Amino acid sequence: MSKQETNFEFLGRFDNRVAQLAKQAEEYVHTDPDSCMFKLRLMVETMAKKLTNLQMRGDISQDLGAMLGSLERAGVVPRRQADGMHAIRRDGNAAVHGSPTPVPTAMRRLREAYKISGWFCKRIKKGAKVQLDSFVPPEPPTPFNKETEALHGKIDALEESIEQRRLETRESLLMFGPQENVEEVTRRITEELKALDNVAAAAGEPMIDADFVALVMAMDLEQIEEDPRHGGDSRQARREAEKQLENIKNHLAERETAFMAERTYLLEQREPT
Amino acid sequence: MPDRDTHDLATLWFLSARAMAIAGEDMPSVQEAATGLYAQAIIGLSEEECRIAKDAQHIANKTLIDCLSGVRRLPRDLAEKILTGVMMISYSDRSMKPLEVRWASMLASAIEVSPDDFQRCCVNARIIASMLRPSEQAQ
Repeated sequence: MSKQETNFEFLGRFDNRVAQLAKQAEEYVHTDPDSCMFKLRLMVETMAKKLTNLQMRGDISQDLGAMLGSLERAGVVPRRQADGMHAIRRDGNAAVHGSPTPVPTAMRRLREAYKISGWFCKRIKKGAKVQLDSFVPPEPPTPFNKETEALHGKIDALEESIEQRRLETRESLLMFGPQENVEEVTRRITEELKALDNVAAAAGEPMIDADFVALVMAMDLEQIEEDPRHGGDSRQARREAEKQLENIKNHLAERETAFMAERTYLLEQREPT
Repeated sequence: MPDRDTHDLATLWFLSARAMAIAGEDMPSVQEAATGLYAQAIIGLSEEECRIAKDAQHIANKTLIDCLSGVRRLPRDLAEKILTGVMMISYSDRSMKPLEVRWASMLASAIEVSPDDFQRCCVNARIIASMLRPSEQAQ
C-alpha cells in the first residue's frame, strides 16, 4: 500500500469525521503507534456517539465504556463488534495513560477498526452496500530488519494469546454461549415458565408455595431498598415492596380464577352424559 | 478435564439461572456477569466447565423439567447453593415478577427445602445481590 492509499476510502461516503480519524490512525501506525491508538479510540467514541444519538433514547452516559455497554445491551452493537470496540478503548486508554503501544498491537486494532467500520456504515445507513476488501496493512517507512520482525511476531503471538484468554473468560462468565440464539432460547424458556405457572396454579406446590415465596421476596426487596446505598428511605422501600407483592398476588389470583373457570367449563361439558 | 457430573452441575446452574433471568423479563448485564462469577466463586466450577456447560450438546436439549429433576438429585448443599444463586439473580434488579416467584417456588419445592431453609438461602442471596451494584440504578 502506497502512502496515499488507504483502507478506509469507503468510510468518507458515510461519515467524514470517522473516515478522517481512521486515515490518520493508519498513517501513524508505524511511526507513532500511541497516536494511532488515540485516533482509533476517538474514532470508536465518535461512532458510539453517533449510534447513541441515532438509535438510543434516554440519558446515556458519556463515558465510552458505559456508552458501549448500553449500546450492546440495547442490541444496537452486536457482541463481536462491541468486543472490538472495547479492545480499542482499552488500548487507547492505556496509550493515553503513558503505556507505550507496540506496533503489532496498533496494527491489530487498526485491522479491527477496519472491520468495525464496514459494519458501522451498514448500521447508520440502512441498505448501504459496503463491500469490504481484505485489509491491507500499511507498509513501514523503512523495511523491518529480521530482529524487529521477530520481535513483532512475538508481540503478536502474545496479543493473540491474551485475546484468546480474555474471550474464554468472558464466555465462561456470560449466561449464554456464543453459538446460542438468545432470542430463541428466551422464547422457549418463557413458554416453559408459563406452562409451569399454569401447572402450579392447578396442582399447587408441595412445600414452598408461590404466596410464601412472594412474601419472603417482598421482605428482602424492602431490605435491599432500605440500604442507604439504594436510597435508604424506609417508607418508600416498604411502599415499593408492597406494590410489588400486590402485583404478584393479583397475578396468582388471576391464575387461580382462570383455573377455576376452566375446571367449571370442563365439568359443564361432562354433565350431559 | 471436567467429568460428567461437573458438566451436569454447570448445566443445571446455567439453566436455573437463565430461567430466573428470563422470568425477570429484562436482563441487566450485571445479572449476566454475576451468573458466571457465582458459578466459579461459590459453586466452585472452573472457567472451562462454565464454557462447556453452554455448548449446544449439553444445554440445548434440556427443559426446565429436566432442570428441576436434576437439581432434586443434587446433594443438598449444592442444591441450596443453586437456589441461593438463582435468588441472587432475581434480587439483582431489585424487583420481582410473577414468573420469578413461580420459578423460585418450583425450584425450592424440587429441592424440598423447609420454609426456614428457603428464607436462609434468600438472606444469603440478598446479601450477595446488594453487593453487585450498590450505587447504580438497575438498567
